[in-house]
Amino acid sequence: MGMGKDIFEITVNGLKLVVIFLMMVQAVPILVWLERRGSAFIQNRLGPNRVGPLGLMQLLADAVKFLTKENFVPDTAKPLLYYAAPVFALIPGAVAFSAIPMSTPIHIDAFEMFGSSWGPYTFLVQGYDIGVGIVFILGVSSLAAYTLLMAGWGSGNKYSLMGALRASAQTISYELALGLSIVGVIMLYGTFNLMDMTMAQQGPLHFAFMGHTVTANWLPNWGIFYQPLAAILFFTTTFAESNRLPFDLAEGESELVAGFHTEYGGFKFNMFFIGEYGHMMIASGLMALFFFGGFGIPYVSVAQVQEWAASATSTATGASALVALVHFLSFFIKFAFFLWVFIWVRWTLPRFRYDQLMDFGWKTLLPWALANTILTAFVIYIASL
Amino acid sequence: MTADAFLFWFLAIVTLVSGLSVILLANPIYSALCLAMTMVGVSALFVTLNAYFIAGVQLIVYAGAVMVLFVMVIMLFDLKKDLQAFTRGILSGALKIASVGLLAGLVVGAIAISTGLLAEKTTDNPVTMGTGMESTKALGNILFSKYIFGFEALGVLLLVIAVGAVALARSKGGTHEQ
Repeated sequence: MGMGKDIFEITVNGLKLVVIFLMMVQAVPILVWLERRGSAFIQNRLGPNRVGPLGLMQLLADAVKFLTKENFVPDTAKPLLYYAAPVFALIPGAVAFSAIPMSTPIHIDAFEMFGSSWGPYTFLVQGYDIGVGIVFILGVSSLAAYTLLMAGWGSGNKYSLMGALRASAQTISYELALGLSIVGVIMLYGTFNLMDMTMAQQGPLHFAFMGHTVTANWLPNWGIFYQPLAAILFFTTTFAESNRLPFDLAEGESELVAGFHTEYGGFKFNMFFIGEYGHMMIASGLMALFFFGGFGIPYVSVAQVQEWAASATSTATGASALVALVHFLSFFIKFAFFLWVFIWVRWTLPRFRYDQLMDFGWKTLLPWALANTILTAFVIYIASL
Repeated sequence: MTADAFLFWFLAIVTLVSGLSVILLANPIYSALCLAMTMVGVSALFVTLNAYFIAGVQLIVYAGAVMVLFVMVIMLFDLKKDLQAFTRGILSGALKIASVGLLAGLVVGAIAISTGLLAEKTTDNPVTMGTGMESTKALGNILFSKYIFGFEALGVLLLVIAVGAVALARSKGGTHEQ
């Protein structure tokens, strides 16, 4: 821990946090565009296509509209909670997203600047590296439920309160299955650290079973091949955690107008939206990291990429940056794919009924997650004999 | 003042102020939100003590789940009557004095027991093992060997509470139609 040993390192680490936060926020308009065009494609219509090429400028028009809306507080609202809720909606997403490693570390050799020598430095391509990475992410994102309750109660509206109660009950219920589905993964890699988990998934599929080493060269060493059930459970529960269809009962339009954000307009509504997309991004990032090798490239090892980068560039710093860029692209492709699945599912599956939702969470996902945990423990014990 | 000392004082003040707000604020919703804030503050204090795993668990279990239930219960029930019943009368006055006495006793007892604890327990203190998996492993080891009785007893207690809650809910009609 710590921000760095001199002013340059501290500045870069500080800037990194800002850049990651802006990356998250700036990805939202693109995702909204993708969601609207994607839903139109799935439903056999055109979607926004009038403003700018492919309707891309629609986002800018939306942003201007959001910013110029009248600032409005309902009479029965509690202003403090009403204003605090959208701000708090951004925090868990942004804090948790910064802990996800997106590429290999960048090494910078010693260099001269402003008449003094600096470095060498190593910068991680993530906001901060926390030893208990996954526990931290789960802990921080569990705070998201407060946002819903603050918004629902603070709005002074019955629909909002109903939506908030539904949403928080759902978040708590599915958090259990979410946490338990990851336990198998943690046991498999034997670490909480997200970087170590990524490094454990490099190379071809290989594992030790009762003294024998089993290798399959035609498959990458990804978590999905060890924990397929955990992957399904994890991905399902993250849909509920981010309040997306088929689990978006919190804002069931036909019953609750818009749920907890009924009374919010303009940019305050937009902040809730960013929060929801932030949860989607964390889920996609973790999905890629736990089950699909993180930033690793299948069939190509980090060492091979380093060799290629060293031959393509002249300096060690440049080579290290190139390696990081290549791995970031690999991570980004996986990340973008899962974000697309989120959008895809939203426009494919209908909404659950509320009692079905609770039954599914408590009576289906939770027992299966428990069974997966116990089975994994047994298999790991037998394999180590 | 070093950065560590500053962090400690900042977190201590935040935790104590939000802890006091829990009992001093009149609106139960704000009290509950302040209790959540207290939990987050305690979790951050665990981080400054290098107990990262405990800090994460504190966030997940207390701040994340239990507190949300608290807030929901407060929202669903009308507490005005109970509030009035509790702010007047001899019985509630006696209860208040009794709880103050209990709290004072707990604080004094905790201070009396914990003096010399830091020097004594350094051999199997998980925090000294490292920041990541090592300390969690050490924690698991002592939890399932040295403190197994307390751990299992707490598990049974939680099971009893869960069964009791389900039984109570069912006796009042339950959540599902039969």
